[in-house]
Amino acid sequence: MKITKYVVMVGILLCVFMPFNVMAAKPVVIGLQGPITGPWAYEGQMAKQSCEIAAQLINQKGGILGGRMIEVRVVDDAGEPKTGALAAQKLVGQKDVVASVSTYGSSVCEPASNIYEKYKKVNIGYGVTAVRLTQRNFKYFFRTCGRDDSQGKFFADAVPAKFSAKKIAIMHDNTAFGKGLAEDTKRALKSMIDAGKVQIVYYDAITPGEKDFHVPLTNLRETKPDVWYFTGYYAEAALLISQARDIGITCPFVGGNAAINDEFVKIAGLNIAKGCYMTNEPLPGDLPYPEAKEFLKAYKDKYGEIPSSPWPIYAADALNIIAYAVDKTGSTKSSVLANYLRDKVNGVPGITGPIGFTKLGDREGVPFYLYVVNDEGKIVISQ
Amino acid sequence: MKYSKTLNYNGFFGSRHSALIIVLGIFFIYPFIASNYYIDVAFFFGIYALLGLSLNIVLGEVGLFDLGHAGFYAIGAYTTAILNTKFGIPILILIPVSAVAAALFAYIVCSPIIHLRGDYLCIVTIGMGEIVRIALINNPFDLTGGPNGVFGIDFPSLGGPFVIDSSIEYYFLIWGVVGLSIVGLIRLQNSRIGRAWNCIREDEVAAGTSGINVRFYKLLAFVIGAALAGVAGNIYASKLMCVSPESFTFWESCLMFCIVLIGGMGSIPGVIIGAGFISLFPEIFRPFAMYRMLVFGTVMILMMMFRPGGAWPRKRGGVEFTSLLTRMREKDA
Repeated sequence: MKITKYVVMVGILLCVFMPFNVMAAKPVVIGLQGPITGPWAYEGQMAKQSCEIAAQLINQKGGILGGRMIEVRVVDDAGEPKTGALAAQKLVGQKDVVASVSTYGSSVCEPASNIYEKYKKVNIGYGVTAVRLTQRNFKYFFRTCGRDDSQGKFFADAVPAKFSAKKIAIMHDNTAFGKGLAEDTKRALKSMIDAGKVQIVYYDAITPGEKDFHVPLTNLRETKPDVWYFTGYYAEAALLISQARDIGITCPFVGGNAAINDEFVKIAGLNIAKGCYMTNEPLPGDLPYPEAKEFLKAYKDKYGEIPSSPWPIYAADALNIIAYAVDKTGSTKSSVLANYLRDKVNGVPGITGPIGFTKLGDREGVPFYLYVVNDEGKIVISQ
Repeated sequence: MKYSKTLNYNGFFGSRHSALIIVLGIFFIYPFIASNYYIDVAFFFGIYALLGLSLNIVLGEVGLFDLGHAGFYAIGAYTTAILNTKFGIPILILIPVSAVAAALFAYIVCSPIIHLRGDYLCIVTIGMGEIVRIALINNPFDLTGGPNGVFGIDFPSLGGPFVIDSSIEYYFLIWGVVGLSIVGLIRLQNSRIGRAWNCIREDEVAAGTSGINVRFYKLLAFVIGAALAGVAGNIYASKLMCVSPESFTFWESCLMFCIVLIGGMGSIPGVIIGAGFISLFPEIFRPFAMYRMLVFGTVMILMMMFRPGGAWPRKRGGVEFTSLLTRMREKDA
């Protein structure tokens, strides 16, 4: 008697709750830690919008894990290391948060990623370029953006091959940024130099602020470089290229990502500026991938214009890759996700190109492009 | 005997032992019932309490406008960070080292400017705080790591097996230090030094004429205040495991200033309340996101309009005077 009563009750309960459970599958919650307020609020807001668009696109296609929706949970870190640590602590304390997209700014990311690591939660940085972040042998930290030395590496990978250059001249301006890029480039070229494929024929600095560069340029001319890389800023770059063409240096000019902009074209004049190259992170509008087109269209439909900075789309890609890993592994366990991201994710199409991670958690492949000043003076991706 | 007993009334506990026990009880139970996030919020509350107490010495006790206190805080944090990462010296041993470094810096930098008064001193201290921050960004001698800061700082330990590495332990570390500082500061308030400080605050000329070495006592306030800020920097650095210049901006100095003003100049319980306000408020109002600083500012303005003396103003009664009277009466009798 008693047993039948229980059986009936359990039966009724099952009937009531079973279909309900299936219908209202819990959403998969992905955290976003970003500077929603503070000095970088602009970046944080765009990252939030990007992640929401990315989640919306996934949800429109039916979500992941057979119908579960993605929910973005935003926590503000105000672009401050201290608040960042608290924000991370807040996210790891929430059991339903599967993984986190975190954050913009290397010094904010550092303490936050320590906390994610301690509480074993996958966190993917989207605007954190300091090299050291992935030198800590963390299991749960990844990044979808490049590193500070990515640009130098990109130069070594792409430029000598493009111009079939053997003799390379590198010129910097002794600023922290320019010198850093020059040194990274030199380091990245080392294996090719050792193999005898290329040589650095000129490596020196100019003094920023000067107007006459004929002395260093004459030295540069004597070395007869096949390609010339300048890692400083646009004001010097424009003067350098004008004076160089004057004294008969005709080799291709490649600038770092601070060397060429509209102002450069204006100062140097269109005749000289056209055909100058630059290594640069792609701006959202320049991305050739179908995923990017789809994403940017959805973004523009909702917010009226596409993101003006390169970083927010890395946040969207971080969210995409987390969703992808959860879907493929069918698991929300951090260790499973971390192992999957590190070992199995390779060449997954993303908004910023194929996504994969190195053993350290860095983005595989470098999201840089060679831009060129075209005949109208516009800066476009070089084909 | 009687003298010391009357003095106790001047402290902030006074006869209110039961209230004190309840507060202490809450502090001890809190970390065992709260989640890690709230323990961390309480930890940063503690950091701000310590910073508030340190600025309170300069601003509250002596009335010197110091808007560059984040500079001392930064010196403490960077001393810890650099010595720990370069030489592996345990963090807890570095606490006194950071305090001394910050104090020494304060002594050297403040000696030439100590005669300035009011807003003039204020402007110079703003400059001092900014110079420290910019110097850190410029990476002198390749020590401070420029804008990226110093990273990879250890958990606090003495070098042995005892290591502070969980939120609860950090909580007890910072509040232990705050507790010790409070005890020390109350003793200081009631000492000859404390009275000299207050005297200078009320009237510098009068203080000088009655034989107080104004210059010495002002410098002493800066040095002690800087030392405490250095200790706060040490604990902060080890908690975040990295330090970077953006943690020590002018805004940070402003917050400390607000703590003392909100709480009440020279009042230790007031400073704790102010620190609580400053550190808990942004967390409570997190959902407002971009409006939270607006709310924050409004509350500050209202506060200054309706309670200009602070939340818990310092009451300094004529205790010594009464005790003197009693003694005179006893003598007469």
